[in-house]
Amino acid sequence: MENAVSAVQLAKNFVLKKRDGLRWTESEVKAVDGITLSIERGQSVAFIGPNGAGKSTTIKMLTGILHPSSGQATVLGCVPWKERTRLAKRIGVVFGQRSQLWYHLPPRDTFELLSKIYEIKKDVFLSQRDMLIERFQLAEFLDTPVRKLSLGQRMRAEVACSLLHSPEVIFLDEPTIGLDVIARQELRDLIREWNREKGVTVFLTSHDAGDIQHVAKRVVVINHGRVVLDDRVSRVRRQYLSEKVLSVKYADMPESIALEGVKTLKESGHAFRFEVDTLAIPIEKVMTEIMRIGSVVDITIEDPPLEEVIAHIYSAPPTATEEDEDEETGAEDE
Amino acid sequence: MNWLTSYLNLASAYIKINFKSLLAYRGAFISQMVAMFINDFVWIAFWCLFFTRFPVVKGWGVNDVITLWAIAASGFGLAHMIMGNALALPGIIMRGELDSWLLYPRAVLPHLLLGKSSASSWGDFLFGIVVYAIFVKPDLAHFSLFMALICSVAVLFVGFSVFTGSLAFFMGSAESVSTQLRIAMITFSTYPSPIFQGFVKVLLFTLLPAMFVSHLPVSALRNMSMIDALYSVGGALGVLAAGIIMFYVGLRRYESGNLMEMRG
Repeated sequence: MENAVSAVQLAKNFVLKKRDGLRWTESEVKAVDGITLSIERGQSVAFIGPNGAGKSTTIKMLTGILHPSSGQATVLGCVPWKERTRLAKRIGVVFGQRSQLWYHLPPRDTFELLSKIYEIKKDVFLSQRDMLIERFQLAEFLDTPVRKLSLGQRMRAEVACSLLHSPEVIFLDEPTIGLDVIARQELRDLIREWNREKGVTVFLTSHDAGDIQHVAKRVVVINHGRVVLDDRVSRVRRQYLSEKVLSVKYADMPESIALEGVKTLKESGHAFRFEVDTLAIPIEKVMTEIMRIGSVVDITIEDPPLEEVIAHIYSAPPTATEEDEDEETGAEDE
Repeated sequence: MNWLTSYLNLASAYIKINFKSLLAYRGAFISQMVAMFINDFVWIAFWCLFFTRFPVVKGWGVNDVITLWAIAASGFGLAHMIMGNALALPGIIMRGELDSWLLYPRAVLPHLLLGKSSASSWGDFLFGIVVYAIFVKPDLAHFSLFMALICSVAVLFVGFSVFTGSLAFFMGSAESVSTQLRIAMITFSTYPSPIFQGFVKVLLFTLLPAMFVSHLPVSALRNMSMIDALYSVGGALGVLAAGIIMFYVGLRRYESGNLMEMRG
């Protein structure tokens, strides 16, 4: 199957000018340092990294906004910076911090304008618009000026706008920034739905672990302009950190547990919360001990929160070999 | 011709949405329009007083100056009521706001220029037409040529704004330089052209092409000279071409930004 996105050793350097007394000196800053990546059509990929890691610069190169300093990339078979207008008809882009909605006008007017920009035939435009209105529940505020909408409503309209021309790939750069819990969840569900039902390839950047967990199946982590991890989200969460969290409720007060690699995080009445380092002790040995020390009423085993995993990955220093390893661990979709 | 039809369709959609956006704050829009109309009219009153004292200045009478102001104001107004982003270009480049425009399947410069309408420019545009019709009282031929020359001057102003605005690609912060050059251009465009001689005249045919707003169009209307009209159009197209080249050469140096943005 043709890749939706493919990049080989993609790099971007920016020139930084500094004043040194009366002279100006120039130095190069590597924003993106040789990213190699391929994404199959229909995949949903989270592209994450700390601030300044090179996420936005990579997106801008993949959408044709910036020319790379070196390397190659294709999106839907087009070289983005050479075939920008051809590619623009086939991709959608949502920047959480940039709006394509007209601030003083209702979303309906922006839809009309976009149909002219993308040269969508009238009948196709009307059916696509109506479908988006229904799926994104825009009807209640379609004729309200954007300035009067809540941030959640605005972002729903924003994403709907970027889907009006039926793009094959959608780039979302922090789409849930500033949204409350409910609006965030609604937007995640809609993006996931579009990916699964319409087969739209999703390329998502976000600092919110919930976005990654709910929308993406694969996660690519970049730091210092390089890919430091590329794997399935579920596997990253399970494998990258060796800790598991066990919540156990006993019928009576149990005996105390004394195993290497098991730490009691919380104790409340007959309920306990343990952290288990599975590298130090197998989980089944811990389970056997938990069952032995008392009569268990309820038990749950959780993976560590994704935030923790991400923080752990970000804090790892860059290594020269990581990227080569990552190429081999290309994620497969579920 | 498909691209032209497509672009005209896009332009008409933008004119419609820009007008709607201005009307969202009707009072502010009308007051800006009226204020600009009055501002321009004060200058006409000044020139009328001047010509009662000195009826002829190097061959130019009051009607010539009124024609000059009418063409310059309407041309400037037409340029920026349709392509208002020409005025905002240096800021757009400097703040990295071209990103949004590069994501659409359209040629970036003509699309970007359509993205905004300047409210006060509507006042300039109306002022020129009203003043020319009332004070000069043209016949149909003169009025038709006048309208054509307004379009030529509008093209020139857009080209000049694009040229000066594109300096931001090379200088970074070019808002102030661009504004100063635009003010100089307007200033030199609104004085009787015969008062400029020698080196200044050469300057006004080249670096600050004000003669294509003042001297040639007024001469074309006064003498119904198609040659002067064609020179005006040629000059305007030349300035536009220079602006387009400057923009696309500069675009290769573009480095985008990460600011918050809203349209309209």
